[in-house]
Amino acid sequence: MVVFHFIVVGLLLVILQTTICMPTPVWLPAPDFYYVLVAYLAFRLDLLRSLIILFPLVCVLDVLSGTVLGTYALLCFSGYFLLRQFSAKLPVNEILYQIPLIALSYLAVSWAVYLFLELLQPGQQVAWSWWKMLVRMMLVALCSYPLFFLFDLVQKYSQRSFLPWNRLRLRSDNRRRRQA
Amino acid sequence: MRKKPTRKRSDRYRLFRIVILAGLLMTLALIFLVSTLGSQNFGSLHKLVLEAVGPLQKVVTMSSAYVETFKSEYIDILQDSLRLREENKRLIQQLQENENILNKSREAMATNASLRKLLEFKNTLDQQQVVAAMIVGKDPSTTFRSVIIDRGSNSSVMKGNPVVNNDGVVGQVFAVTPNYAKVLLAIAPSSAIDVLLQKSRVRGILKGDGTLTYRLEYILKTAEVEEGDHVVTAGYGGIFPTGLQVGVVSKIIKKPRGMFHEIEVTPSVDYQKLENLLILQQPKLGEIKQMEQQR
Repeated sequence: MVVFHFIVVGLLLVILQTTICMPTPVWLPAPDFYYVLVAYLAFRLDLLRSLIILFPLVCVLDVLSGTVLGTYALLCFSGYFLLRQFSAKLPVNEILYQIPLIALSYLAVSWAVYLFLELLQPGQQVAWSWWKMLVRMMLVALCSYPLFFLFDLVQKYSQRSFLPWNRLRLRSDNRRRRQA
Repeated sequence: MRKKPTRKRSDRYRLFRIVILAGLLMTLALIFLVSTLGSQNFGSLHKLVLEAVGPLQKVVTMSSAYVETFKSEYIDILQDSLRLREENKRLIQQLQENENILNKSREAMATNASLRKLLEFKNTLDQQQVVAAMIVGKDPSTTFRSVIIDRGSNSSVMKGNPVVNNDGVVGQVFAVTPNYAKVLLAIAPSSAIDVLLQKSRVRGILKGDGTLTYRLEYILKTAEVEEGDHVVTAGYGGIFPTGLQVGVVSKIIKKPRGMFHEIEVTPSVDYQKLENLLILQQPKLGEIKQMEQQR
């Protein structure tokens, strides 16, 4: 259920970003919600479930964006593994301390993907602009805290079982009896 | 023993006084009756009574008027203000509803005007089959420029179809699904359109740079170009029809080196206000693709 809920939430966030948050095709301050989800998955979920969630998400992003398929796959998976590596080494696991890391990784990964695509297909992308990317990075940082809160709620909701299996489980009658 | 004659005397005196007073009153009453009924004159007594009662009446009347004024000025105002508050609430609600209706009608009028322009433009395209479409999504990335439209192969939209609106060229269909299509905008760096300078008929390639301007490339330095020259589609290759408005030359950078001018073109289309688009169906496009495949 966690996987399904996060896929739905991810798709909704992408749709939100590409419709309501972008009044015009050249609108700059559209927050990249998907990257916050990538960061959340890297910090909070296990590898297998994260990858299952990321596959449909990057597929949708690639379909909705640009001319080079696979750009978002590269961006999201790079970001995911980078953050996962960092999260394993971080002494604190609080979101407020992780926000700068998320923002910086977004900038670094975007730049790396831009350079890579520029190497493969020169002149096919809009020229890199530091200030524009810094604006986007700030938006990612601003969105991180409320979205992490939302994702925590989604995860909490998803882990709530519809059937109380744990209550139905049979227990031995002498589990509290003192051993002789 | 000595007090008895004194009490008797005082009792007699009291009786005498009462009799005298009653007689006086009766006499006065008789005089009043006789004088009132007899002469019917508003005599001195009446005047005296009136003079005595008048001030009292005046005080009472003034007090009542004052109370009335107080009531009308304060209590009624209070009631009125309560009533007015209710009325105000109702009117504000009504105003909001009317504003909503007005906004909706304004929006409908703007959409109507936009669609009317698009229809007029469509009518100018002789015998050209067109499909109207609406933008449903935009490109989330900062490095590409594309939009998603709500028409696809079910509406006979094909890859490569030119996309325009009433102001001019918008882009080209890049990918198609049965009900949706992705349009590569002309401002995208990967877009390239064959164009002509309308005045000098010099041919060049129009490319996007991701901002709200185009770059016009491959215009030889020997060619005559001026700021304000109109740029239109050349029609080579059979994809874009000839003469579609693209933009206006806004800046010419003349460099000492190189063979070509560096020219900036301001788009005729306002990319900030893109809503409804027309997809031009090219009958020759299928043939062109077949020829390309045969090669």
